[in-house]
Amino acid sequence: MKNKLKKYFALTRLGIIETFQWRLALFVMILGNLLYLTLIYFLWKAIFSSAGNDVVNGMTFEMTMVYLVLATSLYGVVELYIVWEIGRNIQNGKIVLDLLRPIKYKHYVFWENSGVLVVNFLVTFIPTFVIVVIMTKGTIPLGWNLLYFILAFVFSIVINYNIDFIVGTICLYTESIWGINIMKQMIVALLSGATIPLAFFPEKFVAVVKYLPFKAIYDTPLTLLMTRNPGWQTVISKLGFSLFWMIAISAFSGFFWRISIKQVTVNGG
Amino acid sequence: MKNVTGNESGAAIKRRGLVFYTKIYFKIIAQDIKSKMSYRADFIISTIGIIATNIAGFIAFIIMFGKFPSINGWSYYEILFLYGFSLISITPTQCLLDNNWSLRRYVYDGDFVKYCFRPINVWFYYVSEVFDVKGLGQLVFGIGALVYAWIKLAIPVEFLLIMKIIVALVTASLFMMALQNAAAASCFWIQNSFWLLDISLKMKDYAKYPITIFNDVFRFIFTFILPVAFMAYYPSLVILRPDNVPVLTWLSPVLGVAAFYGSYKLWMKGASKYDGSGS
Amino acid sequence: MNNIIELKNVTKEFKVLNRHEGLKGCIKDLFSRDYKIVRAVDNIDLEVTQGEIIGFLGQNGAGKSTTIKMMTGVLEPSSGNLIINNRIPYTDRTKNSQEIGVVFGQRTQLWWSLPLVESFKLLKDIYQISDENYNEMLELYGSMVDIETLLHKPVRQMSLGQRTLSDILAAFLHNPKVVFLDEPTIGLDVAMKSKIRELILELNRKKNTTVILTSHDMGDVDALCQRIVIIDKGNLLYDNEISHLKHFFGIYRTLKIRPRENVIEVANKLKDELYAFEVSITNDDTWISILVNEEKNRIMKVLEAVQETHAIKDMQLKEISTEDVIKKIYEGGVRN
Repeated sequence: MKNKLKKYFALTRLGIIETFQWRLALFVMILGNLLYLTLIYFLWKAIFSSAGNDVVNGMTFEMTMVYLVLATSLYGVVELYIVWEIGRNIQNGKIVLDLLRPIKYKHYVFWENSGVLVVNFLVTFIPTFVIVVIMTKGTIPLGWNLLYFILAFVFSIVINYNIDFIVGTICLYTESIWGINIMKQMIVALLSGATIPLAFFPEKFVAVVKYLPFKAIYDTPLTLLMTRNPGWQTVISKLGFSLFWMIAISAFSGFFWRISIKQVTVNGG
Repeated sequence: MKNVTGNESGAAIKRRGLVFYTKIYFKIIAQDIKSKMSYRADFIISTIGIIATNIAGFIAFIIMFGKFPSINGWSYYEILFLYGFSLISITPTQCLLDNNWSLRRYVYDGDFVKYCFRPINVWFYYVSEVFDVKGLGQLVFGIGALVYAWIKLAIPVEFLLIMKIIVALVTASLFMMALQNAAAASCFWIQNSFWLLDISLKMKDYAKYPITIFNDVFRFIFTFILPVAFMAYYPSLVILRPDNVPVLTWLSPVLGVAAFYGSYKLWMKGASKYDGSGS
Repeated sequence: MNNIIELKNVTKEFKVLNRHEGLKGCIKDLFSRDYKIVRAVDNIDLEVTQGEIIGFLGQNGAGKSTTIKMMTGVLEPSSGNLIINNRIPYTDRTKNSQEIGVVFGQRTQLWWSLPLVESFKLLKDIYQISDENYNEMLELYGSMVDIETLLHKPVRQMSLGQRTLSDILAAFLHNPKVVFLDEPTIGLDVAMKSKIRELILELNRKKNTTVILTSHDMGDVDALCQRIVIIDKGNLLYDNEISHLKHFFGIYRTLKIRPRENVIEVANKLKDELYAFEVSITNDDTWISILVNEEKNRIMKVLEAVQETHAIKDMQLKEISTEDVIKKIYEGGVRN
């Protein structure tokens, strides 16, 4: 067991080193996020001032901003461009080599990218969170909610990775990356509440969205993080929802990969 | 020195001017489209992808702005106008400069060198290799949104106005192409230019909002440092605020050409320092 | 003087970032401005006349591809004069490209998913080849290879050999004065190798094209080149007629044997037993290599001597590789 973990952590460590190798990338990424945050700040400010009301859809301007800032930095952590990687490996045939490794492909790709995830979490999310906590003085409670958040965030990573992996698997059939990937990015970003808080969605729309797994990626962890003293029923139901989808979607992605890879071997691709 | 067949150096070779390049461009993209035909599934899925993406973008737009009759002095249909305008002006970048997205990989793997051996302009040869047909899907949405907003805003359909909007669209396109081109060129100097390209792509999302929502500092930044405001806002003022057109709007076509030329020069400078071994 | 290529004191230096090891090093590298200068090509002189085929040899990283990139106009020399066909390739890149052709063994420059003829048509337009010259060239190709089959096959469906062949034909299509061939036979079988060599030789004769060939395969060099240039660590190590060198690598061959008994033991015993033959013996886990100078001893005699005392499972006869030749030059076996 220990050896097995060591094998995985070796991949994580390599990933961290590689990430730093991309010198300027980090600076540029942070700059890009700051620009984006500037945009949404002014945009929502304009929206709130046009509404003529301090509270729109049950959220104040401050809450909306806190939510969007954290969602944006989480997006930078969770989005690993896995579909691109799998798709490219399928196209250039590198996947055959990866399949020969003594690790399941799904796990291999995950752990290979986990280094980037760790770096992104430390470099983008943690500083953002600390700054937000200090600047908003008390909007985010510091208590049990941090633990709930961490749990929900772990589920969120697994769910998002498995969605990526399923979409990547589809590339086995289509040999198309771009179209599928851009569609996935847009749909996940919208339905998970990464770009607009779900509270702003029209009711009929939310009625559907609330049953889909996407909201477990950004909405659930952030809501748990921002809620002061949630009832234990709320916590259980939210975490339970995430846990259920995590198990369901992991099982499905594994199953889908197994039947798909057989298909490919038969086709000689 | 014997030279067995003709082809005597120089004499038979015409100067490579605009006519030559136009002819070659259409021949090269014709080859690219022929290649794409041989991957039909990819083409269909990409088209569905771009339609779904645009629908999702449109839903997000409605969720944010649909409830409010006006924002910061801009009516819902004026914002929709800007939205459509920005979608149209991104189209040339998407269709013509799509190969720039692969530049980083070519440079990194050392494959870029193959573009340096031909007796034609390197930038031209490189970008002409790929013509992205799916970009046209975006164009349809953009035109739809723009026309709808045009009707709802009761802007008259006059020849002069149509000429104005065309010039405005070309101007905005030049700025978008310049930004993407410059971002792609950065891979000649830095290793992972993907982020820069990604940001340049996001700029089109910023472009669709009126610059007046920002405070002075960011108005300045988005006008003079990152020319986001030129990608839809300034050019479209000719139509949306005809009585109050700022100087920058009138200057924008010239600035657009200058920005594009600058980005081209930057790209060529990068290509000339490329050492073929991967950076 | 009819020199098509002239290099005088050509030097190329690169600025390389000093990378540090490990996790700490990486973080350091983020902010480091610690560069060192690497001299890839050091004061090279070279003159080539029209119509020559030159074998351009050297180990990986010796500076030969840098030199070729300078000759093709991709790189600018740091100092020195470099003239191709009376032009400075770097400043006159477009015109220079009109008169050179380039093939990289593994990387095709053809349009991947289209039939070869489509690539040819595009090249015809790009290089402004007249209909007359184009048709003449295709006719010439037809007399050398089965061009009809190739023309209508998409490049991605070709075998490696066909693709290399097509790439070479494409490089000669505009009748350039110089063609650079980088490892043209890498990864090909013996029959295809000889077919490609014949093609290059014939095109060189018919069109009087200068060919600069880099290869790790001494067979290529032997079959094609009259003259050999060896670059090592950025310096010109050797520049002379092939006959001068051929004398050398022609007489050396490697006999590889796999004994039934323990390889190391047998190798040690052989060092004593074959002392009289003046051979050098090396071994790895499974093979024992015996480098034989055939001027002094016939290879069959050596084999017989081995067989007398040891049982042999398997054997191979190998030509000397370019690396071996370079090694021998270093050891002082050949003088420039």
